[in-house]
Amino acid sequence: MSGPRRSGEPGTIRFTFDGKPLLARPGDTLAAALLANGIGLVARSFKYHRPRGIMAAGVEEPNALVTVGTAGRGEPNTRATDLFVYDGMVARSQNRWPSLSFDVGSILGLAAKALPAGFYYKTFFGSAKRWLLYEWFIRRAAGLGDAPTAADPDRFAQRAGFCDVLVVGAGPAGLAAALAAVEAGDRVILVEQDSLLAPSLVRDPQELDPAWAEATAERIRALGGRILLRTTAIGYWDDNLITLSQRLAEPGERPPAGTAQRLWHVRAKRVVLATGALERPLAFAHNDRPGVMLSQAVRTYVRRFGVIPGQRAVVATNNDDAYLTAAALRDAGTEVVAVLDTRPAPAGANSGFPVHNDAAPLATKGARHHLREVSARVAGKVVRWQVDLLAISGGMTPVVHLHMQAGGATLSWDEASQAFLPSTARQNVTSIGAAAGADPVGPTLAAEDPAKSFIDFQNDVTLGDVDLAWAEGYRSVEHLKRYTTLGMATDQGKTSNMAALGRLAEKQGVAIPEAGLTTFRPPYTPVTMGLLAGRTERDAGAHQRRLALYQVHQAKGPIWQPLGYWKRPRAYPKSGENLSQAALREARAVRTAVGMTDVSTLAKFEVSGPDAAALLELICATTVAKLKVGRGRYTFMLREDGLVFDDGTVWRLGVDRYLLTSSTGGADRMAAHISYVRQFLRPQFKVSAVNVQEHYAGIAIAGPKATKVLAALIDDDPPRHMSTVAATIARVPVLVLAASYSGERAFEVYVEATKAEAVWNACEAEVTSLGGCPYGMEAMEFLRIEKGHLVVGGEIDGRLTPHDLALDKMLNKAGAYVGAQGLARPALTQPGRKQLVGLDALSGTIPEGAMLVQAPGQPAEGHVTAAGLRVLDGGSIALGQLDGGFARHGEELLATSPTRRQSARVRVVAPHFYDTLGERYRE
Amino acid sequence: MNDLAITALSAAPLHVLEIWSDPPGVAKRFAATFGAELPMLGSSLQLPSMQLVRYEPAVWLIEGEIGGLEPVIGLDGSLTPIGGGLVRVRLSGAGWRSLLMEGGVFDAESKDFATGCSAATVIDHVNIRLLVESDQACLAYVPLSYAHDMIHFWTVAAESLI
Repeated sequence: MSGPRRSGEPGTIRFTFDGKPLLARPGDTLAAALLANGIGLVARSFKYHRPRGIMAAGVEEPNALVTVGTAGRGEPNTRATDLFVYDGMVARSQNRWPSLSFDVGSILGLAAKALPAGFYYKTFFGSAKRWLLYEWFIRRAAGLGDAPTAADPDRFAQRAGFCDVLVVGAGPAGLAAALAAVEAGDRVILVEQDSLLAPSLVRDPQELDPAWAEATAERIRALGGRILLRTTAIGYWDDNLITLSQRLAEPGERPPAGTAQRLWHVRAKRVVLATGALERPLAFAHNDRPGVMLSQAVRTYVRRFGVIPGQRAVVATNNDDAYLTAAALRDAGTEVVAVLDTRPAPAGANSGFPVHNDAAPLATKGARHHLREVSARVAGKVVRWQVDLLAISGGMTPVVHLHMQAGGATLSWDEASQAFLPSTARQNVTSIGAAAGADPVGPTLAAEDPAKSFIDFQNDVTLGDVDLAWAEGYRSVEHLKRYTTLGMATDQGKTSNMAALGRLAEKQGVAIPEAGLTTFRPPYTPVTMGLLAGRTERDAGAHQRRLALYQVHQAKGPIWQPLGYWKRPRAYPKSGENLSQAALREARAVRTAVGMTDVSTLAKFEVSGPDAAALLELICATTVAKLKVGRGRYTFMLREDGLVFDDGTVWRLGVDRYLLTSSTGGADRMAAHISYVRQFLRPQFKVSAVNVQEHYAGIAIAGPKATKVLAALIDDDPPRHMSTVAATIARVPVLVLAASYSGERAFEVYVEATKAEAVWNACEAEVTSLGGCPYGMEAMEFLRIEKGHLVVGGEIDGRLTPHDLALDKMLNKAGAYVGAQGLARPALTQPGRKQLVGLDALSGTIPEGAMLVQAPGQPAEGHVTAAGLRVLDGGSIALGQLDGGFARHGEELLATSPTRRQSARVRVVAPHFYDTLGERYRE
Repeated sequence: MNDLAITALSAAPLHVLEIWSDPPGVAKRFAATFGAELPMLGSSLQLPSMQLVRYEPAVWLIEGEIGGLEPVIGLDGSLTPIGGGLVRVRLSGAGWRSLLMEGGVFDAESKDFATGCSAATVIDHVNIRLLVESDQACLAYVPLSYAHDMIHFWTVAAESLI
């Protein structure tokens, strides 16, 4: 009998691997469970499809990547060593066809000599189209698991955390540090990526009783400390901000409370890194075979999981730690036939094992995808052993990733341990325990067959590939990385980078620290996209803003239209109507009778105080101070560079009290602009500017019968155009503004949002009694285009001046508004600037967003900003921006949209298609 | 943490009080009228008829009847109604601090954030104002348009709190 096995009970947790039903014990990782079931072949390598087993016992595992879970919960490229088995788990191997044991792709391994590092740079030449062909084959021949196509059904949360001390790593050093901090009265968060506290004590109980860990944790919790298991510190950012990835369910598992993972943003006054160290493999021919494992991993499987990875073993090392593995194997019943120690005698002399000094593995051989033989050079001679396990240790590499991510940090080279150690740090961070230092190691003996000696197991990079990159002129470690793909993919070179650096330094003829380092980038371990982005837009913080009158609209079954975070009714189709038919009916109702629409989303600011007018004359480019109480006017606002960024209306409600409205889409920007002007430009002003966008719901009533509607609803006379009156509708106080965006006589009724429903219902009763109806945004768009009213984001796109938009006659001649100086720049008065025009179709329908050209293939001279139609007469019309547009009225152009494959001949006209004299406003 | 309750309260009169000049004078008149100091930044004051919560250096949110305030303010500030745009949501139960950390950026778990304290912060990208009512409850002033989704957000988050 050979290969991995477990003694005793197989366990009760049921799971499958490649469809085969298996059993696991509670606390097993998938890797442990597979070994326990005698499964050593777990994966196929990325490039050559070489058979791969389990090499490590933690997050550094490069080989054993699996897909776990089904449908939307499927998670590819999951490390079997970082995945705890749960009942019903479905795990599958990856990158193989038709099966793991018989993989057709392994034929690529036979062609390995033809596929060295960078082969595709040299092989696939030609046009970009040909690359698409190559890529198709490459992606199928090499690769990792497939991303699920179904939506992830689970929730991903984000959370803030604050503490005095964050300790990363709950090993003995981390637990002790956390306890000391919490006993000193600090707020402490202790995180551990494993499911177990101090797992190293289970592996090496001779150091400290494992029960100490739980007792310490209890004390930490009792004093108010927080301990998070299955939580990895994945990134270290400025100002001691650390991001944590917390698993609330294992990959592929249905979360008990719906939330699969939580992303923590932790602000810590001090960070203690007790992140431990990772064992380095050794390089020799066919060192990637299943059955070749890291020494500490072997010990972990034996002591923590009760799994014996092999029955006859060779241990190869350059340090003392591997002798503990030999002892653990012996205690578990494995025959340790040799310990190969690169150090000269007397290292290991009294260990009780058959130790060979000046010895290192040469190569392995296998049978049926598992290790069968190890050969080694011992004192100049080649010796062979028939074994099923080779435990290797090339020394320990402290985990310095977070230390380096902290920025401004440095590492120092420790010659004795052949490792980089944390040195200086800009932020308040310290490294302790194995993360701060490693035991000394002996020499690493040169591999005799570099082309078959793997250093990056995940990317199939050998020492020979490093040599090739060097021979081809790649000198920098960054270039080496990119040419060979070394250190990339899911393990980010955790087990490979030191070996590669050593080889590069050897080639350069320098010491390892002089060869340079690649950048340590977050995340430390792979994270799902869901953790960063959330399952849905709701989880990502992109909430849907509801109108105060949402339920009223919803009852009418509208077509909803997203507008920023808002959703607004686009149209209210009657039975059998499509969007266009409904919108046209609604628009015609406004033109011929009366309509009403929800304008609650408009930005609104109440500005009060003795300096209210002065503040508004800074914000608005039009005059404000001359407005009489009860009057309003159209206005627009400039950025400091003199370009128009928003428009709206301003109303004088009292002697020192104004209401400013502006666009929905620009509401947040306008709030920031007002705050900037108020707080920074004029902090001395006696004025208050309060954002009342949500306080007031707004209802617009428009059409030739709008006055009649208002007259029936309020006690007062309806205000004349650009006037305002306070009134009551349905016993609710309202503010009525006479303003029009449709080209018809119109009113905007503002009411406290919580009382809006009664007002809407009263208005609607009057409107419908006069043959009118509610209208949505589509009809509003038809109406405003026909009238030539501007919209922010369309005609007002932040690139045009008031002159370009034909608004210059309205500018405040005193010129004290924000943007006045910018507007004086010569470039803004150059001829040929884009200017607002109207476009009348001579044939066909003007496409939305079309380019304006002289003829097909000619350069664009402008574009369509909004396309609509003549509401009553039919015919396609549009607004647009055109080079030197004011002087080109009467010119014929082609409006063409290659993406829509639509074109129309158009005539350039003035941007007013309806009631050009504005008489209907005042009726 | 299933003891959490998330409750939307009925609408209440809410005003913004902004003082733009002579803060000491206003404070003096306020103390003379109401027998208490204007609350400091990040704190609140409960009077029989109203509650004042200071969120900005010169801005207070006032809940309740504002009778008697206008003479105190005089020409040194103004009152603006905003009650239509805010929904008061009470988060009650021992886990309310933990709940506020979800999607948040503010240290609601700090012992300094005690009864009577207030904060203006962002939770899940939404501007929220907070007022600690007791160890067992916190009041959140949520913009009306976001209220439905925020209540949903808190309800779901409460199910998997730690």
